[in-house]
Amino acid sequence: MALSANLLAVPVAAPLLTAALILLLAQWGGRRLIRQQIVLTTLALCLNLGVALLLFLATAGQGQRFVLQMGAWTAPFGITVYCDGLSATLLLLTALVSIAVYPFAVATIDYHRERMGFHPLYLFLLMGVNGAFLAGDLFNLYVFFEVLLMASFVLLTVGAQPAQTNSGIRYVVLNLLASTVFLVAAGVAYGTLGTLNMAQIAERLSVASPAVQTLLAGLLLVGFGSKAAIFPLFFWLPASYHTPPPAVTALFGGLLTKVGVYTLFRSFTLFFPDLLVEWRPTLLTIAGATMLVGALGALAQPSIRRLLSFHIISHVGFMLMGLAVALSGNRLAIGFGLGAAVLYLCHHMIVKTALIMAGGAVELHMGSDRLASIGGLVSRQPYLAFFFFLAAISLAGVPPFSGFVSKLSLLQITLDGRHWLVSGVSVFASLLTMINMMRLWRESFWGDYKRPSRVPSRILQSSLRQRLMLTPIAALVLLSLGLGVFGEPAFRLSMRVALQALDRKAYIEAVSPAESFSQPLPIRAAPHTSVGPFPEEADLLDRGRLIVDHAR
Amino acid sequence: MPELYLRLLNRILTPVLLLLALFLLVRGHNLPGGGFIAGLMAAAAFELQILSRGHQRVRRAIGPYLNSGIGLGLAVAICSGIFGLMEGHFFQGKWFEMNMPLLGHVEFGSPILFDLGVFLVVVSFATSYLLGLSRISDGAAFRSEDVDLPPAPDDARPNFSVETDQSSKESAS
Repeated sequence: MALSANLLAVPVAAPLLTAALILLLAQWGGRRLIRQQIVLTTLALCLNLGVALLLFLATAGQGQRFVLQMGAWTAPFGITVYCDGLSATLLLLTALVSIAVYPFAVATIDYHRERMGFHPLYLFLLMGVNGAFLAGDLFNLYVFFEVLLMASFVLLTVGAQPAQTNSGIRYVVLNLLASTVFLVAAGVAYGTLGTLNMAQIAERLSVASPAVQTLLAGLLLVGFGSKAAIFPLFFWLPASYHTPPPAVTALFGGLLTKVGVYTLFRSFTLFFPDLLVEWRPTLLTIAGATMLVGALGALAQPSIRRLLSFHIISHVGFMLMGLAVALSGNRLAIGFGLGAAVLYLCHHMIVKTALIMAGGAVELHMGSDRLASIGGLVSRQPYLAFFFFLAAISLAGVPPFSGFVSKLSLLQITLDGRHWLVSGVSVFASLLTMINMMRLWRESFWGDYKRPSRVPSRILQSSLRQRLMLTPIAALVLLSLGLGVFGEPAFRLSMRVALQALDRKAYIEAVSPAESFSQPLPIRAAPHTSVGPFPEEADLLDRGRLIVDHAR
Repeated sequence: MPELYLRLLNRILTPVLLLLALFLLVRGHNLPGGGFIAGLMAAAAFELQILSRGHQRVRRAIGPYLNSGIGLGLAVAICSGIFGLMEGHFFQGKWFEMNMPLLGHVEFGSPILFDLGVFLVVVSFATSYLLGLSRISDGAAFRSEDVDLPPAPDDARPNFSVETDQSSKESAS
């Protein structure tokens, strides 16, 4: 299967173009026009899913790598768009999550928010997330971080409830701080290594001084880590996720922190493979603390959505643990840890989205999501209770589901590396997850039916809306079941993805930033100017080294 | 009521600013300039209109088009990238050359489309933002002078969707 690299533009261009069309066609107000917006958005989401699936089959399935140099400007000068198995996996999961949350959103978002541009914002957020997964240089990564930050900020605050505005401001300030740290890191990379292209950074970091490496790694760990909500930097997440409508929380819970996790995976495997070994104790400590804090903090939360969103932090800890042991020599396989972490990432994105949607459905039915004041929904909503239960035990890691396979493989690799403490912590965190999930299910579904609000829930009266809400939850739960039942092929795929991500040399060769120096550039030179000979690659590398020496 | 000299200045400066914006727009591919600066320049012209004639008039005139302007600009910018597919790469420049009467040898290519898209986005966004700001500041002025005028609506914040909605209502009435 020979796919054109131009396909890489689709996950960014299609949502953007559709959002632009919606802005162009919409005369804000009419319900008929909102239906058109829904149709257009659905088309874009389907196209995105199709392209992501194709890319996934070609990269993770057949081991290809795609590089698109925008406008045929070669690597260190132009915009590089890169896709390998890791990017394609995340693109596919993003497409799945966004297409699963969309019917739920259509069923539950109120008319006011739709009129204020909910649908184009959804597409802008999707575009930002996709772009971050595809970016091949640090600056574009930063740009797409900002795109998704702005889109998510507006999605958080649209509707302008006081609580929403409050949480939105905290969210945007803390995230902008993280972005600033990341921007400083990009500046450091440019100042010391003379490039922002990720392949070239990887190439030049191997000759850079350890001080530069440590500084850059530390800055990126703080910047990306706070996007991913790791231990001391997670405060923006519990402050904001519970205030927007449930559909928005489900989308955020599925997508946002995972961008941070992806960039951590990408930067540490590509830039700092040595530090991945050297810093293992630090990373494992952070991972353990993140797991523990997430699970314990969730235990103290009084309402469904607060609990579920706090719990995301705990899962980020598991993924970070997988990254920390990605390069450890073990008896299982090279890159086993990263493979397990990738599988965990897939499991988490699928199940967490389903669970937050199910929790949102409970909240919409009850009119409140305070655990103390609701109960007994199992008699009214048996299907919802069923799927909620399945998603909850999948999250906790009970055998036939995907949670079991991914947690087991993570446990295997940490035990094999004799990291007793962190593996113990991960088991304890899983136990706490189980307790949390059982608490959720017992409080909201078990017991006598009690509903705090007297107002009948209008959203749940329409059977079409109920079906729109239940179907995606059911589909995601079945997907999780499939990942668990076909655990071996799924794990083999994620191992292949991990090995591809760990293969730095192939990444650098695929982007091939060095080639651009020996080839004439596609500059449209005016006839009277002559383009001089380009310096050889060795010269430039020398110069890069000089810069580095100078910095030393 | 705006001052006389401001209105006079507006008469003179607005065409100059708009022409300058156009100049920067077409100049911008290989030389300093481009869609972003041109868009800001054109938005400055609109701001001058807002200051001298009051934001209601400006909103009545161009308000309904601002939202579509953002959409159109984005669409045009992306379509310039799709144009590049003919050359093989997304966003690769596609160039046409021709000899025109009066102008002589002229080259133009898809990058100007991109610049045009950026121009549209920037001018529409900046103008709707300025309109929103001027409405808020109007409300603040009324309140501070204790004039018995209707206060600014609750949703008086620089949000373009509200702007155009309001303005379309105004223009309809």
